[in-house]
Amino acid sequence: MRERRTARETERHQRVDDETSRPESRSALLDAVRGVKWPALRPVAGALPGAHHSRLRGAAPELSEYRVYRQGDDPKRIDWRLLARSDRAYIRLAEDRSTVSTVLIVDATASMAYPEGSLGKWRAACDVAIGLAAVAHTSRDPVGLVVVNGDGMRQMPPRTRRGIVGEIARALDDVAPRGSRSLAPAMGGIRSRVRVAIVSDFLGDADHVRRRAGEVAAAGGEVHAIHIVADEELDPPARSILAVDPEDASLMRPLVADSRAAYLERFAAWRTELSASWRAEGLSYTLARVSEPASRVVRRVAGAALGTGRAVAPDVRREIR
Amino acid sequence: MSFAAPLFAWVGGGLALGVVALHLLAWRRPPASPLPTARFAPDAPVRTVSRAMRPVDLGLLAVRVLVIVLVSTALAGPRFASRVQGLGRVIVVDRSHGPEAWAPIDRVARSVFRSGDALVVVDSTVHKVRNPTVDSIVATSPTTESGGISAALVVGIRAANELQRVRDSVEIVVVSPFGSDALDAATASIRRMWPGTVRTMRAGTPPNDTARARPPDIRAGSGDPVSAALALAGAAPRGAVRVVRDSTTAADTAWARNGGAVVVWPTSAAQRGWNVRATADTAFGVTVTSLGSGSSASPALSATVVAPFVRRLAPPPGRVVARWDDGEPAATEISLGAGCMRSVAVRVSAAGDLALTPAFRRFAEQIARPCVGSRGWTAATDSVVSAVLPATGARGAAQTFSAVDTTRSHSPIAVWLLGAAMVAALAELLVRRGAANATA
Repeated sequence: MRERRTARETERHQRVDDETSRPESRSALLDAVRGVKWPALRPVAGALPGAHHSRLRGAAPELSEYRVYRQGDDPKRIDWRLLARSDRAYIRLAEDRSTVSTVLIVDATASMAYPEGSLGKWRAACDVAIGLAAVAHTSRDPVGLVVVNGDGMRQMPPRTRRGIVGEIARALDDVAPRGSRSLAPAMGGIRSRVRVAIVSDFLGDADHVRRRAGEVAAAGGEVHAIHIVADEELDPPARSILAVDPEDASLMRPLVADSRAAYLERFAAWRTELSASWRAEGLSYTLARVSEPASRVVRRVAGAALGTGRAVAPDVRREIR
Repeated sequence: MSFAAPLFAWVGGGLALGVVALHLLAWRRPPASPLPTARFAPDAPVRTVSRAMRPVDLGLLAVRVLVIVLVSTALAGPRFASRVQGLGRVIVVDRSHGPEAWAPIDRVARSVFRSGDALVVVDSTVHKVRNPTVDSIVATSPTTESGGISAALVVGIRAANELQRVRDSVEIVVVSPFGSDALDAATASIRRMWPGTVRTMRAGTPPNDTARARPPDIRAGSGDPVSAALALAGAAPRGAVRVVRDSTTAADTAWARNGGAVVVWPTSAAQRGWNVRATADTAFGVTVTSLGSGSSASPALSATVVAPFVRRLAPPPGRVVARWDDGEPAATEISLGAGCMRSVAVRVSAAGDLALTPAFRRFAEQIARPCVGSRGWTAATDSVVSAVLPATGARGAAQTFSAVDTTRSHSPIAVWLLGAAMVAALAELLVRRGAANATA
């Protein structure tokens, strides 16, 4: 039994190593995130039974505590055996488990269509969104999708039906990243006490989105920011280029050897400021490089909810700092 | 093709290379590439300097190089005249020393002259003979009019510059007996203006440099100021001039009739045949203008003394050879047989050092010259000639002379090149504007 478990762990570690070395397919992604739990950051108030701790206490089979019977309590909840032993009336309390609606907001503006040939940022965003949807759906949570690009906003309300992950994947495949649009309106119709995962490069209205996310969190919701960064943005090519913002063609800056150091410094400072501002609002922030496997990013996001941070690799921690 | 100032051509070549080097440093616009994080790049000018393996803006480069080449070539003074290989010569023939000196001059000049040489003839005036031949030398007739080497050198240098256009090298050959009266203070400085060779060919027997200068014959008492001045003045031909400070005698008249010059310069106020002025007055200057004819007057043969002179006598009528500062005659000359008799009414006091001043010595020397038409002359020594007319010119002199050479600065080729450079400069403006619009 122990040998079998060891072999399984070895296989799992090897799979994780392979994931880091080559891009993973959708099926491999779903296979890799199978079994990953994405618990809510705080007890939820849902009524439907689910996998997350509920703020309600009921008559679930899992005992939580005993409480002295008070007038008005249902007599059916009195533990008669305890009454017989102690001659006192106690009622049996149990923690309820509930579901939490999860909405994935995916940025599909022109800045995500980078690099031009591979569309690495967009594909990474799609994979992370699908992985998170799969993880949430495994916990029987309703999963919805909002995709924002220059053409408008495409929404899928949270659903728990079986094929919702596939629908989300097809919806994302049907979208081409282009144009420019703010992400903040996409959060306008979100109810309170909903888990929101924003997958974006935050190169648009980052402050506006953060403020809106703070409002959602203050209303009892839960917001996760997954910051997608291309390797070419972190380490631009050494040759001199005239960098053009895909969302604003009038923004052209020469990126030459002399200005490269200043660019790297500014970009790093902005990332640091962005993560600090999100965390200062009590929100979750995860930086995801395009070259990093999506399954690992999903684990890091889920791990951030658990508060363990075990899935966060040291190099990624440095980048977050 | 040759250049008058090749330094400008070298400088132009260097500037052209500099322009080419500048075109290897190109202001370029880097290739545009999308980058979502472009906003984090410093806001700098879009065009950046980069090195290129090949010059950029070839059209603009060509026009700029053309402008530089045209201007530098124009300033360098190109000359396309086909040169005739060999030495060109300017023969300066001095024929101002009378018929007796003409034979050796003619012989030497004919031996030196070759076809293609320029010929400058000197007598009382200087002129260049057009299309000279050997017969041109024969055709020139000797005169006794006084000439100057200085004026001959000016014309000769001008002719040498013209000849320099068709010859690789040019020298000036001066054929003259080099009388001391032909050399003056300007001769050496004029010689320095010609950077090339000046070859002096003496016609006749050169004087003995070691011979003692012989003053003219003077009949005067001891301590006479005029005899002192003439003793310091220099040499005179033996038997040509006799200065008489007392009364003339029959022997003096006979001597003058034989071709001599008797200078009567009396010391006493009473002299037979002379007019006594009604009132004695004082003149403050006297000038001996010329002992030749009026047309042959030369500044080199003039002398002026500025000093107070008491005028008591007026010279007898004759050709005026010296005048007081108010225009009245101070010395006259009359012809007498083959010679002449010269009367000088300039009274010199024995007191004071007026007679020893350079101005009075020069005055006395000019007064005591031989008669016009039959006067002799003294040849300058070889040391004097070589000092005044050295064979080789100085380098600095060449540059000085080039700077004042008007024939070079007015080259029509240079004008055309400068015009073309202006047109090219205008074209450069248009090409540059077009290039700027293309890169904007």
